[in-house]
Parts: sequence; C-alpha cells; structure tokens
Amino acid sequence: MDSKRRTVVKALSGAGVVAAAQPYLSFPAIAQNTPLKVGIIAPKAGIAGTIGECGLRGTLFAVERINAGGGIAGRKVELIIEEETNPKDSIERLRKLVLQDKVDCVQGIVSSGVSLAMGPVAEDMKATVIFWDGTTQDGVKETMPNPRYVFRSTDNECEAVMGSLLAVKHWKGKFKTVAGINPDYSYGRNNFAAFQALLKKFGVEHTVVADQWPKVGTTDLNSHVAALKAAKPDLVFSSLLFADLPIFMRTAYGAGLMDGGTKFVFPAAGFQHTLLKKSFTPEGMIFGHNTLYFDLPNASPLQKQFVQEYEAKFKDYPHWEADRAYFAMQVYKAGVEAAYKAKNAWPSQEDVINAMEGIKVDSLGGPGQMRKDHIAEQTFYQGITTNNNKYDFPTLGSIDTMYSDQLQKPPGMDFWKWIEVAQIKL
Amino acid sequence: MRYVAILLAVVVLAAVPKFAQPYYVTLVLPAFGYSIALLGFNLLFGYTGLLSFGHALFVAVGAYGAAVLSSKLGVKSFELVLLISGAAAVVVAIPVALLSVRYVRIFFGILTLAFGMLFHSFLFKFYDLTGGDTGIRVLRPSLFSMDFKELDKTAFLIGPFYYYCLGLLVVLGLAMWRVVHSPFGLHLTAIRENSRKAEYLGVRVRFFRLIAFLISAFYCAIGGVILAINTGQADPELAYWTHSGELVFMTVLGGFANFFGPLVGAFTFIFLKSELMGATQYWRFFLGLTLLLIVVLFPRGLMGLALDLRSKVWRK
Amino acid sequence: MTAFFDILIGGVFHAAVLFLVAAGLQLVFGVQKIVNLACGSFYALGAYFGITAVNWAIKVGVPPSMFLLVLLASGLVLGVIGPAIEALLRTVYDRDEAFQLLLTFALVLMFQDVLRFFWGANPQQLGNLAMEYGKVSVGEVQVPTYNVLVILASVVIAMGIGAFLQRTRIGRILRATAENREMSQAMGVNVRWIYASVFTLGTVLGTVGGALVVPTAAASLDMPVELVVEAFAVVVIGGLGSMRGALAGALVVGLMRAAAITFYAELEMLSIYLVVILVLIARPAGLFGKPIE
Repeated sequence: MDSKRRTVVKALSGAGVVAAAQPYLSFPAIAQNTPLKVGIIAPKAGIAGTIGECGLRGTLFAVERINAGGGIAGRKVELIIEEETNPKDSIERLRKLVLQDKVDCVQGIVSSGVSLAMGPVAEDMKATVIFWDGTTQDGVKETMPNPRYVFRSTDNECEAVMGSLLAVKHWKGKFKTVAGINPDYSYGRNNFAAFQALLKKFGVEHTVVADQWPKVGTTDLNSHVAALKAAKPDLVFSSLLFADLPIFMRTAYGAGLMDGGTKFVFPAAGFQHTLLKKSFTPEGMIFGHNTLYFDLPNASPLQKQFVQEYEAKFKDYPHWEADRAYFAMQVYKAGVEAAYKAKNAWPSQEDVINAMEGIKVDSLGGPGQMRKDHIAEQTFYQGITTNNNKYDFPTLGSIDTMYSDQLQKPPGMDFWKWIEVAQIKL
Repeated sequence: MRYVAILLAVVVLAAVPKFAQPYYVTLVLPAFGYSIALLGFNLLFGYTGLLSFGHALFVAVGAYGAAVLSSKLGVKSFELVLLISGAAAVVVAIPVALLSVRYVRIFFGILTLAFGMLFHSFLFKFYDLTGGDTGIRVLRPSLFSMDFKELDKTAFLIGPFYYYCLGLLVVLGLAMWRVVHSPFGLHLTAIRENSRKAEYLGVRVRFFRLIAFLISAFYCAIGGVILAINTGQADPELAYWTHSGELVFMTVLGGFANFFGPLVGAFTFIFLKSELMGATQYWRFFLGLTLLLIVVLFPRGLMGLALDLRSKVWRK
Repeated sequence: MTAFFDILIGGVFHAAVLFLVAAGLQLVFGVQKIVNLACGSFYALGAYFGITAVNWAIKVGVPPSMFLLVLLASGLVLGVIGPAIEALLRTVYDRDEAFQLLLTFALVLMFQDVLRFFWGANPQQLGNLAMEYGKVSVGEVQVPTYNVLVILASVVIAMGIGAFLQRTRIGRILRATAENREMSQAMGVNVRWIYASVFTLGTVLGTVGGALVVPTAAASLDMPVELVVEAFAVVVIGGLGSMRGALAGALVVGLMRAAAITFYAELEMLSIYLVVILVLIARPAGLFGKPIE
C-alpha cells in the first residue's frame, strides 16, 4: 500500500470505528473512505472452472454481508476478479493486482501448480495472499518453508487422511485387496500414498491389486474400469474430483463393478456431489465433503442461510470451495479488525499479517483458524452415504466430523513422518 | 530510415522502466521472451515456409532447463543457464528435426504437434523426474556473476534482468538479421518459394531445413528460459499444443513476412491478452476474434498493415 | 477371460468415440485439404447441446427411451453452423494453409467461451439415461447396451460414408474434387457447393458424435482441446484424409490405450504419441493414406 493513502486512511480511521458500529447511520463517513481492495484469482474456464465458480459465489456471499454490515473496520470491500489459468499467466494476474490495482490482499487459487509458483513470487513481492486451496505436500515444504505474506489452506491430503481413517474404522478386517483410481497429479498421488501409509500404520494387511492414474479431464474411463474390475478389489480408493468422477461412477455402474460387495472410499467426491445421481451411485460408500457439508443437520444459521440462498439462486447445492473462499475472506476481515482494534488506527500490512496469525473465525462449514505458521485449520465432514433423502443424489447417512488438527501435520513436521508417529484416535 | 526506427525502438524499450508503471514493465519481460522465441520460430515459418505446431516443446525445454539447472543443480549463472538450455534444445531438436523435415506443409505441422504432445506427456507423467503437473521451480539467476541480493524479485526483474533481456533481444535479433540476409538465409527463402527448383539448383533442401530447425529450437529455448525466470516455475502447460498455437498466433498477428513482424506480434499479443483478461471474463472469445479478423482481413499482419499505410502516405 | 473381454470392449468403445471425433476432421481434410482444429469444439458443442435438447424433450413429455433420437436430431440441427463457418473459411481457401489452420485455431478459442457463456463452468451430464436400454451380459462381462449402440453407430457411419464416397455419383464427384480441384471445376462441378456440403457434413459428424457419446460421459469445457489431440493421433496413424484410415487409427489408439492402462498405466498417453511417431517414421502417409511426395 502506498504511504500517501495510508495517511489519508489514518486520518479517517476515527470515522471508521463509528461506521463499523452503526453502519446505516454514518453512511457519509463510509462514503469518504476508500474501499478496501481485494483481488481474487480463481479459475473460470477449463477443468477447474466449476471449482472457481463455486468459490467465487462464496466470496460474493461474504462480501455482500460484509459490506451490508459496514465493511471491514469501516471500509467497504471492493473486489477485483482475475482468472486463474496456467502458472505463467496467473502470476501475471497477481502482478497486475498487486502492482497496478494496488490491492490490499489477494485471495483465491485452487491449483497446486499455480499455488506453488505463486507462493514464492508473492513472498518476494510482499503481497498478502490467502490461498483457497491447492496445497499439496510436494514442493510446499521446499518452496515456502516459512512464509510471511502467504497464507495457505489446510493440506489437500486432509480429506484422504480422514477417508482412510474412516475406512479403517468401519471396514478393518473386511477387505484385503485394494485398488486406486486417482487423478494423475500431485494431489491424486499423495492421496493414494497417504491411504496406503495409514493402512500400514493401523496394521491393516492389504495388497494393492491395481492403481490407475487417468489424466484429469479424461471423458472415457471404460478401459480404466475394465482394468479395475479385472483386478477384483475388495475396496476402491478414489480421489477423482472433476467431471471424471460422475463419469467414473456411471461407467463403473454400467460395467458391474458395483454389483459385488466392493467397498468405495471417495474422499473428494463432495466436489461433484450433485452430479452423482442416485441411479448410478451405490449407497454405503465413504464420501468426503471436505470443509462444507451442505445438508448438515445441526448446521449454523450462517450455513443454512448460504445453502438456501445458493439453492434459490443457482438451483444447485454448494460444495466446499465456497467455504474455503468464505473462510479466506473472514480470516482477512478478522485480521484487519483485530489489528485495527489493537492499534486504534488503520493497521499496516505487517500488523494485519501478525493479527491473522492464530486468528479464529467462523466459516460457512464451521469453526476454523489460521495457524501461526500460516496454515489453516478447519472442520471436515465425511461419512457413509445413503439414498434415503429428498434429493436425486446421495447424502451422508452417518456423519463424522473432525477438526483438521487431527488430520494434518503440526507446524514444521514432515507429512509422511507425521503419519508414522501421529497419535490419531479413530 | 529503418535503422532510425530500430534505434528509436531500442531507446524507448530501454526507457520503459523509467516511466512506465511496474506492472507494464513486468509485462515487457514475457514479450522479450516471446520475441526471441519467435525470431527463431519465424526463421522456420516465415523464411523456410515450414509451419510448426509444436514449437512450444523447445520453449518448454528452455524453461525446464532453467528449472533443473537452478533448483536441482545449483547453477546460478544466467549465462550458463542460457547456454546449456539452448544447447539442450538443439540436442532434443536434432532427432525431432531429422524426422520432421522430411515433410512439408500440414504433415510437418502435425508431426511437430505430435512431438510437442509427446514431450508434454513425458513432463506430465514422469513425476519423479519432472515434478508432474506442478513442474519445477526456477530460481533467480545471477547476471555476470552479480547476485543483486539487495533487490527484491520485482525490482530485479524490472531492473537488471530487464536490461539484460533487452540486450539479449538486440544481440540475438542482430544475429538473426545476419542469418536471414546471409547466403544461408537466401537459400531458405529459395526453398520456401520452390523447393524442387532449389533442389535442382543444388541446394541441399533437407539439410538447410534441418539447420533452420535447430536454430529455431535454440531461440525458442532462450525465450523459454526468460519466461520461466519471470514466472519462477516451469510447468507442463508450456509444452501443450495450445501454447504452440499461441506462438503461431503472435507471429501471424505481427506479420510473418516481415523480419520485425513477430516482435510486433509478441508485444501486441502480450498486452492485448493482459488487457482483455482484465476487461472481460470472455477474453478467449475476443482473442480468437482478433486472430480471426487478422487472418481474414490482414493476412500480412500488423507490420503489413503498417507498411501499406506508409506506402499510401508516401504516394500522396 | 472376463477381464480380457472387458478390456477389449473398453478399447473398442474408446475407438468408437475417437472415430466419431475424427471422422469429420478426416472428411474435411480428404476433400478440402483443411485441417480443422475445431473438430473437438464441434464435438463438445454437440455434447452440450444434446444434453439441453434431451432435458427439454423429457420436460415436454417425450418418453426417456426416445432420447437416442433426440440426440441424433440435435446433432443434425447443429449442422446449421456448418455453412456459416465454411463461408468464413472460404475467404482463405486460396491462401497458405497456415491461415486455414489458424482460422480454425481462432474458432477453438472462441468456442471455449461460447460454451461457457451458454452452459457455465459446471460439467453437464445426462444422469443415468444411458442405462435406459439396459445391459448386455455374457457371463460376467457386462456392457451397457448403449455403449454397444455407440460402437455400432460409428461402424455404420464409417461404412455409410465409405459407401457414399465410393458408390454414389456425388461421392465420385467429391473424390474427383479432392484429387484435382481445377480439373473438376473445368468439368462443370460446382466446387463451391461441394465444399460447403462437405464442411457441413464434417461438422454434423462432429456434433452428432458428441451428442451420441455424451450419455456415457459428461460435457466439460476442457473437452475440445483434449480430444482434438487424440483425434490427431488417430488420423495420423490411419492416414490423413482416409475414412478407413480413421477407423483403423481409432482402433489402434483405442486398443493400445486399453492395453497400456491394463499393463502399465504410466504409458497411457505417451504410448499413443509414440505410435504416432513410429507410424510417421515407418509409413509417413499413415496406414491408409496416399503416399506423400
């Protein structure tokens, strides 16, 4: 932020407090204030377009509420939305937001390839960036050992860890042969490796009879399903998550892969939950909704309102990316406001970052916090599916809820080492 | 007249960091990278008449060269990175070129596309070697053994690195100018115009095409190194066929019939894309529309358009 | 044995899909010598539009079992874009083929956003409609009847076009035009009309293909650019411009991929490009193409 504007803001900060407290009465004071600029970089087209779309809806929901409530510490939020594509172009978008639009904070990014490239660049540019997603193990540890300006989402592997734990809890002793079909990138690779590591940790004897790695975006999975079927696994672990997932499910159904007693673990299926129609999706699978399960019976009023509005507006039910985006915005809001309160003046970027470290917020899906090492902790939802509901897709019959401190490595530890030594209760 | 224009262009580019906003300066860097890559690409396309739809392969070789050298082998010297990556591209290009230059026209295009996609699959699938989808990080190099530790990355990029790349562009541009105006370059043009006739006249057509291919691969790799350092990451998308398509797009946008066309195309494309991406979420549509209009209405590209305008003015 | 047949059928099915993507590409190249990079976009358009058409038809009371006809019809209707795009291409017929290739590349870029504009970023699918026709089961081998229909459809289309080109008068004129455009023109053939019809037919092959396959898959925005490279592999292996070649190429790629997936999954895509390059080295014109000078 340029120093000139900061002094202006400082001069106006007294008005800001009043504005926050009485949003509707002191409107002129807010109008004088410059808006807080937040840049969003999210995919809109291509494979991940569907994720970015849902995330953006979460952001817009958050900003509507924030602005209706008087903004962040009295300043309204103005969004500048850019598209996440490949690492090269996405970094250009980051530079545009930071250097040209002079945004106060950047949020977004769902692909690990982009987040890995962007992390160091953002650190170097001293740009506050809060990632929605895209945090796989590989590289993160080498490229960003101690980030100062970059805040990361919970580990992508959390859901695989939780899915594996549930598989052990519910089905230990009921399966011997295991097959995997996972997307061919770091996320899919780590998920399947984490699953096997956890089976080993809990002494579940198993053999891997097939592992398939379809490229993300494959629209014909008949051969993959045939290969899986040939291996006759007792359990299939799959972290497919884009259009590939409903295609896989339908193909597997058509080929009779689901006729026997085969068990399924789908830790990331929540991304496409509404596309997995009951007519081809069996009951009784382990199904992950990550940090937002739209049909949670005891959900917060906030979540209920969001899901309701989402359904009314888009004729669909949201998945977790909306929660991640909402969470990122809340962390920033809480950070700015805490720093503002402590200083009783408009805080500097460093103040805000310090305040965000360790801050606790309520996100759509439940409580969460930003750890001191800039990694998010959130609440995860998985369970066993049922078709006994009012929708045309399966929901969770039994719901397991875990806070991510049970699912991700503590600060400074190696993920694989952590799996070996962690004291996890089932 | 021409020399004045070139000199002026270099002076303006050298002054850009002084007056332009930092973001626009950072955009000039990829334009430099693509300019260098396209100088090589157009030797093959504009001068030799071979349209490759797979030259992103060599851009990716350059980028991964920079990545492997800087983050795996600890090579810091930019000069070394340029030389080794360029050499690697030539080595990769030898078998590709040997097979490809047996064909012309669309078959050449498709064969190069297949090689590009082969390399993309390799980068994508061979995880342990290439980092798979996420690729490999590219660390900041030292220029003439100077580290510029006191500068943050942006300051480094729009400062010393900028001028270095401008210098590279000038040097490689001059070299390419010499190449296309040498007897070798004239042979290439003769091959493009009528390869059979050239062959009767004793031109070793395939050999000349091969050499042109290797030079183009070298230039593309140098461009790829610059792009990768600017991004800080080498990823498989760089080798994807649509990226090859963008190379052709830029060349035709500027005009492949003119030596400077590709450079104009690279700059226009980068800035156009950046502005469109900021202006609308449907930027792909408008980018495609631009290409369509250029192809249909101004096949000689922006340089052709400019030259036409100039000759009109002169006639008056 | 069950496994063998499952894998075999998986491969043949993929071949059928690829043939449907590649057929239009092949026909247009065969006659007009234009490589249409947008063939994948037509295919995707057919897929998206087919979903919309079927959903609409079911809403107005068409019985679900008729959906196959709705898909076919919607693919055929999309043929209307054929003449329009051909008119655009006509402006560059007498220029270097680089321009024709680039024009179709421009279409690829534009179509991505056209699809997004109408259908959004979420993948679209037809639920479990494909199972409407049940399964064919022999022993433990189970195949959805619809998949068998897709395989049959591509065989019928391949044979139909082959017969059309070989046996009918128009077919002969088409082939003559492909051989020598000036000569045909001199003989009184309306080349302009021929080109417009061929391009439209090529477009329809793509849109019908996309519509036919979508019940077994889903329509997504990355489809056009992903499929076009596989289609390329098919036509290069089979020989550019040859319909029989497209069929053979599709079979090679489909079976090769199925084998790779079963035995060494890492090689899934790589194996395809390797075959392409091997074929180009050993038999540059492809399995069924005419030799290149």
